[in-house]
Amino acid sequence: MTVGIRGSIAARMSRSGLLDIALRGAFIIMFALLFAMFSVQSPNFLTGSNLVNILEGSAILLVVALALTVVVLSGGIDLSVGVALDFGAWFTVVAMLSWGLPWHVAVLCGLGGGALIGVLNAVLIVVLRVTPFLATLGTFFIGRSVQQIGTNGGANINYRNAPEGFQQLAGGSTFGIPNEVWIVAVLALIFYVGLTRSTLGRRIDAMGVQDSAARVAGLRTRRYRALVYIGSAVVASIAGILLLSGLRIYTPLSGFSYLLDGIAAVFIGASIHRHTRPNVVGTIIGVLFLSMLNVGLDLVGIDFNTKAALRGVVLVVALALAFTVSRYAYRRATVAAASGKEA
Amino acid sequence: MTTLTATALPRRLIDRITRQSVQRFALRRGPIAVILILLGYLATQSPLVLSSNNLWSSLVQAAPIAVVSFGLALVVMGGGNDAVNGGIDLSLPASAALATVIIADQLTHIGTPFVLALGLAVAAALVIGGVNALLVSRIGLPPILATLGTYVSVVGISRVVSQNRRINVDDPVITWVRDADILGAPAPVVLMVVLMALVWLLGHRSALGMRIQASGGSRDAAEAAGINVRRTVAYTYVLASVIAGVAAVLLLARGSGSSPGIDEQLLVDTVLATFVGAAFSPRNVVTVPGAMLGAILVALLSNALILNRVSNSWVDGWKGVLILIVVIAAAFQTRERK
Repeated sequence: MTVGIRGSIAARMSRSGLLDIALRGAFIIMFALLFAMFSVQSPNFLTGSNLVNILEGSAILLVVALALTVVVLSGGIDLSVGVALDFGAWFTVVAMLSWGLPWHVAVLCGLGGGALIGVLNAVLIVVLRVTPFLATLGTFFIGRSVQQIGTNGGANINYRNAPEGFQQLAGGSTFGIPNEVWIVAVLALIFYVGLTRSTLGRRIDAMGVQDSAARVAGLRTRRYRALVYIGSAVVASIAGILLLSGLRIYTPLSGFSYLLDGIAAVFIGASIHRHTRPNVVGTIIGVLFLSMLNVGLDLVGIDFNTKAALRGVVLVVALALAFTVSRYAYRRATVAAASGKEA
Repeated sequence: MTTLTATALPRRLIDRITRQSVQRFALRRGPIAVILILLGYLATQSPLVLSSNNLWSSLVQAAPIAVVSFGLALVVMGGGNDAVNGGIDLSLPASAALATVIIADQLTHIGTPFVLALGLAVAAALVIGGVNALLVSRIGLPPILATLGTYVSVVGISRVVSQNRRINVDDPVITWVRDADILGAPAPVVLMVVLMALVWLLGHRSALGMRIQASGGSRDAAEAAGINVRRTVAYTYVLASVIAGVAAVLLLARGSGSSPGIDEQLLVDTVLATFVGAAFSPRNVVTVPGAMLGAILVALLSNALILNRVSNSWVDGWKGVLILIVVIAAAFQTRERK
């Protein structure tokens, strides 16, 4: 994507300048303003239990967003993460209920279900060289109808008496913090270290900045690309398993609602980054912003339909803001580069 | 002449040439061939498939899909085929759905005259198109991201307007579109063909159309030729949205009112129709008439599947598979061209 290329140029060129810092902070300022507004509007917003609510509400979206961070970093897009999430939950619940497997094994089945989606994407994108957008859109349609067929037109699967251990995955808490938050925090840490400190992360980044250059430099980009799509689907299926563990119910096609929020979080995160590249810390901030918005709008007491519209509008505004900032940074960088050449 | 070259050329080469042309044919016309084979099979299974009743009703059902696809075709023509940074407008079905909700709400709940209600709906579509154009051309969001964002917002806004309820419409204009025959063909079909001709003139035969084609073909070349690509691309989003707004009339006639959730099905159908339609053009690119033929094929297929008592979920599955076939064929073709 062009963001990446622009971003890396911008990064090299504009190291300093208070204005740049202010620009990158534009989103954070918006975040803070909304936070303050909600705190004033609703006395319950700033309470400890509500803040834990926001964290818990962020957990599943964060897992999806982490998967998307890597895909977007590699220069692609994955519209089928929602389906991978659904498959994770579906395979897990079927493995426990119908096949009677112990929950540990069932979780592995869920991950395998997600991997199926990832393998389909990888074959389409790497072997058949379909563009990621259309390939994952096709996977999304197919995954959707497979679920409808498999659940008799989209019936929920209830599993009220799921094994205690499985329920503890999302439901229990350790040291007063929900297990779900622990799991997601560990996952985020792994992603952070993996993307910033490992060769693999650097290579995926290089591939996203300029694919042909990465290939000339000797990277096996096809292998890495396949890995990225399979990995993102498996990670998305973790989100599905956590969702299942928390709700003890599998609702077909429930993953789609995380897609746009996940993509938005990734791009918001990219706009905050010094190199305007997708990154884990930025994605976390983006996710927290979105769940704050979610909880805040509920507490302020807006009706369900209006909330759907408002959320969409705020998303579009946030994305527009994020991109205006990265564009502006790019323009400043090219100006700086031009004047640098003259000097 | 042909016999001469045939004897003169080594056999291996001939084999290779025929294999290549077979391959090329399979890639270019593959998607259509798959649909036709499937249709043929379904027709042998259920005689109703080829009845004139079913053929007409398929055409009527295709009409709103086709009209929204005309808009999508304009956007894809102007933005180029590249999927992430190329032209795509996912918000078109949402615009069409919002327009149906606005018209239905105005007609049934407020009692506005039809022309005014349509004007309001088209104005709303114009605003959505303007926002898309702003996001894509000015701010530089990837079209897929921008239009996915507006899609969600617009679906939310239509839920606010309709309160997520069905609104029945019995306005004379809408019932006329639903029931009337013009020259022996149902009115929606005639409207579809007329709109196709108009958008075809605009997109393929006008000065703006040439600029749209040039921008989509090669952005750099178009810019070098002095075309304002950003503005041209912006126009395609606005035009597409307005066309989707007009499609609302056909949607209302088809459903005798507005129902929540029509946007999702419309999204699948328009994307499929537009990209399948590419196989009808000589150069295998997205075109306006191709989009119409694509929509008709998709509607025929849906109806034939339903007449064969295939459940709705399987119909969706078949459509998903078709999208993949289209997309894979297109990918092979770009590779061949390189």
